[in-house]
Formats: sequence, structure tokens, C-alpha cells
Amino acid sequence: MLVLHAAEQGLIYGLMALGVYLSFRVLAFPDLSVDGTLPLGAAVAGILILRGVHPLWAGLAGAGAGALAGTLTGVLATRLRIPGLLAGVLTMIMLYSLNLRIMGRPNLSLLGKPSALVYLAQGLGTPRAYENLVAVGIFALVAAGLLLLFLHTEVGATLRAVGQNPELVRTLGTNPHNFLILGLALSNGLVGLAGALVAQYSGFADVGMGVGTIIAGLASVIVGEILLRPQSLLAAVAAALVGSVVYRLAISVALRYGAVLGFTASDLRLLTALVVLGALAAPALRAAWKGETP
Amino acid sequence: MILEVLKVTKTFALGAERVVALEDLDLFLDEGDFATVIGSNGAGKTTLLNVIAGHYRPDRGRVRLAGQDVTRWPVHRRAYFIGRVFQDPLQGTAAHMTVAENLALARKKGARALVPLLTARRRRFIMEAVASLEMGLERRLSEKVAHLSGGERQALTVLMAILTRPKLLLLDEHTAALDPANAEKVLVITERLVAEQQLTTLMVTHRMDQALAVGNRLIMMHKGRIVLDLGEQEKRRFRVEDLVGLFRKVGVSDDALLLTANGEGGIGTMAEEAKKQAHLL
Ligand SMILES: Nc1ncnc2c1ncn2[C@@H]1O[C@H](COP(=O)(O)OP(=O)(O)OP(=O)(O)O)[C@@H](O)[C@H]1O
Ligand SMILES: [Mg+2]
Repeated sequence: MLVLHAAEQGLIYGLMALGVYLSFRVLAFPDLSVDGTLPLGAAVAGILILRGVHPLWAGLAGAGAGALAGTLTGVLATRLRIPGLLAGVLTMIMLYSLNLRIMGRPNLSLLGKPSALVYLAQGLGTPRAYENLVAVGIFALVAAGLLLLFLHTEVGATLRAVGQNPELVRTLGTNPHNFLILGLALSNGLVGLAGALVAQYSGFADVGMGVGTIIAGLASVIVGEILLRPQSLLAAVAAALVGSVVYRLAISVALRYGAVLGFTASDLRLLTALVVLGALAAPALRAAWKGETP
Repeated sequence: MILEVLKVTKTFALGAERVVALEDLDLFLDEGDFATVIGSNGAGKTTLLNVIAGHYRPDRGRVRLAGQDVTRWPVHRRAYFIGRVFQDPLQGTAAHMTVAENLALARKKGARALVPLLTARRRRFIMEAVASLEMGLERRLSEKVAHLSGGERQALTVLMAILTRPKLLLLDEHTAALDPANAEKVLVITERLVAEQQLTTLMVTHRMDQALAVGNRLIMMHKGRIVLDLGEQEKRRFRVEDLVGLFRKVGVSDDALLLTANGEGGIGTMAEEAKKQAHLL
């Protein structure tokens, strides 16, 4: 049960991890707006489902809303020349109010409402116990596959080049700003989709559900990188999904058995931040250990 | 006329002071011209290339490319006409993409489509292009550019810059960061590719022997102005000593001159020689 639930969550949040991989790793843009786009996706999908829209369309609408939010962050960071971190924070703050407005209250219950996950799994005739796993697996794998294909196209490759050398992209006669905006739209679209599916999976949308998303996403990407040491795009995309599943598993284990050591759910963010901190500091610590000075 | 720089002035505010980097500068390049540019540190060479490429907008004056006034065009729009190589080999490539991917990106300017970057046909085209460098890179197409040596990387950058046959090629001391052997190799490759495609080229160099040996024109800049513009005939008769003498005449101190003449081999010693002569005088 524990493993099954962790795998389900890992794959749903894996969509979010793919988005974070795209912004942080591919575009080298530290995008904090995802803390707002995850609940945005949940809010949009939730309210549409309550109004009777088909849950699949509601999920896509969540993705679309996320993409719009990502576009906003991109425009702030490029056209208005606001530093990237701040652009993300501004979007995130704006979304907090906007999400409340969309939902009309701090949370929505979707219990007993149709879910895209169930719809998809039943369409395939999946046994009841594995409905969620199969459905979220399909979403995650299709998204990862499309992302991988995209990164091998002219547009996708130019996006990668923007993250490595924006000046090169300029000398190729293209405006790197446009590609950054596109990349952030796609990244936040994935996060919005994740939010929409999380809402349908857990049966509610909450205005506070996005807090810590960016750290969880980063932790997933980093854990995946440590485990798979990806050398290719395929491996890097796979690592984001694997990392997400392993991360959720570690969290579940910590919550279940951590009580013995005195952990509670409220310590979760501290633990996650420490994992990310450790992974980010590892190179510096290793160098210090070997006696190299920075 | 491929390039017309018309009465361009560019100043920078440095604190309360104003630095005049280019002053009322005129420069015309005909199709197929290969001009080398020399000048002491701070003469305005890089600023001139930046004004041509669109990184800086001149305070006064116009820039025309292939007959069009591009003075107000952004860099990426002018890039349709321009290939550019910088001094730093890291600046011209995407380090974590493969040799083939870098070349495939450089295959065209402007709009990108949602089609595969590397097709079999493009791979063949890239293979042929990179084989012309005669560096064995055609066997390393799937390797990340970060794994290449500085010389290989810069040679690749030159190839990328000319792959679309730009109307104008801008080279800013593009061999200065390489060791002598690699610098020579990249220069030879540059000369060959420019000759093959008859590219109009503006090449900044710190080495006076190079400036004299390469191309069909030589331009000397000083304090934001062009103080010498040699055509093919005159260039052949000029010696490094003549250039050193001219530098001195426009008031470049011997120290600054040593800086500009710090190339490999003969040049350093020639500048020393000239310096000795100056003492004798
Ligand atoms: N972005 C800038 N901001 C302020 N001043 C600048 C800027 N770029 C150039 N300058 C100044 O303009 C003058 C010309 O600089 P430029 O870089 O064009 O010289 P250069 O001929 O390329 O010299 P070098 O041989 O050292 O490369 C210098 O005094 C320089 O300090
Ligand atoms: Mg310079």
C-alpha cells in the first residue's frame, strides 16, 4: 500500500518534476512561480469539474492556465527585465490571490466527482486497485515522451541552447527571450497539469497546496540525477520521474516510521529542504573534504 | 557595398567621465573585402564590431548592411547578415550539446520549426561541412562540445559562423585565447573558408604580422578613429616596423605598443627591436 501510494504520487508529481527539470536544468532559469501554478491547475480543474465539465478537459484547462502563468513570468523576466527569481515570486504571489478568486473559497471538495484518472483507467479496463497507478503512469509517460521528442526538435534544441548560451541563440538570428517565454509556458503547463491531476486524485483543491512545490520538484530532479547520473536527454527526463517516485517513497517512509525518531508531518518541509541543501552543497563539501579551497 | 559605417560616434559614461569609444568613424567594406583591424587597447575595435552587430546603438551616425539601414535593428535581426566569432571559444557554442547539434542549429538563421533537429540528410550535410576542417571532428559528431579542446571548439565556432554564408563575418581576436599551434590552425582554417566562400570579413587582431599577412585591407584604429586604411598594394609593401613607427607617430606609448605586439615569435622581438631603435634615435 505504502509503495503503491508513493508510486502514484511520485508519478503525478513527476509531471511537476518534469516542469521543474525544464525550467531549472534546460533553461537554467530558477522559476519559483510553480508554487502558485500547481494550485492554479488544481483550482481551475476543480471549479470546472464542479460546473460539470469533463474531467479530462478540466485537466487540460489546468495545464493551459499554468502555461499562461508561465508566460507571465517569462514576460516579466524578459520584456520587463525583472530578475528571474523575483519574476517567479511576483507571479506566485499574484496567483495566490487569483487562486482564491477562482475557487471563491480556500478549498474545494471534489469527493465523489468524476476524475480523469478513473475515467482513463476504466476505459482501459484496469483492475480497481491499480486504476490510479495505471492512469497516472500513462499521463507521466506520455508527458515525458512528448517532452523528450520536443527537446529533439529545432524549437526544443534552441530552447536548450538558450539555457547554455543565450548569446549564441541571438547570433543565430532568433530572440532568446521568446524561447525563454515558451519554455516557461511549457514548464508551468506541466505543473498546472500536475496540480489538476493532484486535485482529482486526492479529491480536493486547496489554496495552500502549492507551498514547497519548488523544493519538492528540485529534490526530485536532484535525487534522480544522483541515482541515474544521466548523460543523455532520455536519461535526464527519466531521472526526473524516477527521482519523483523515490522522493515520495522516502517521504512516506519518513512519515510512517519517522514517528519512532520523533518526526511529525510538520517536519516534512524541513527534511525536504535539508535533502535539497545537502545535494546542492555536495560538490562544495566534497571539495572542502579534499582540501581544495573555492 | 556590403558594410557602410557612416559618421558613427559612440560614447560611454564611466562615472562622471565620458569615454569616446568611436568618434565620427567612417568605414566601407566592398563585397569580398577581407580587412584586418589593429589598434592599441581601448582603441575602439570591439566597440566598432558591437555597433555593427547591434549590441550597441551609436549616439550618432548610421550603419548600413547590404544596402539596408540597420541602425535601429536588434542583434538577432542583423544576425541574418552577420556571422560572428568572439575571442573566448566558450562563447560561440552550446557546451552541453553535441557537435552535430551545434552545427544543425547554425545551419540556418531565424525561425525554428517543430521538426526534428537532426535528420539523416542534415547529418550528411553536417558531416561534409565538419570534415572540411580536417580535424577529425566528423568522427566525433555525437560528442558534447564541452569535451573538445579550445582549438577544436574555436574551429567549430568559425564553421558555425559561416555555415549560412553570411554577408559579413566579424572576428574579434578569435585566435588570441589559443596556444600558438592551435591559433595558427584556426587562422589557416579561417583564411581558407573565407576564401572559398568569398566572405566579406572584418578581423580584429593584436598581432601586426597577422594583420599584414592576412586579407586585402588593413585598418589601424586609434582613440575611436581610423588612422590608417591600407589597400592591397600598400599592404604588401608595409612591414611590422612601419606599423610600429605609425603607432608611435599617433602617440601610442611604447608600453602600450608592447602590449599590442605581444604576439608569438617574431612580433614581440620586433617590437623590442623597434624600441631599441627608438632609444638609439
Ligand atoms: N560597455 C562599456 N561600458 C563602458 N565603457 C566601455 C564599454 N565598452 C567599451 N568601453 C570603453 O570604450 C573604449 C574602447 O573599448 P574597446 O573595447 O572597443 O577597445 P578595443 O580596441 O577592443 O581594446 P582591446 O584591444 O583591449 O580589446 C575603452 O576605453 C573602453 O573602456
Ligand atoms: Mg577588444
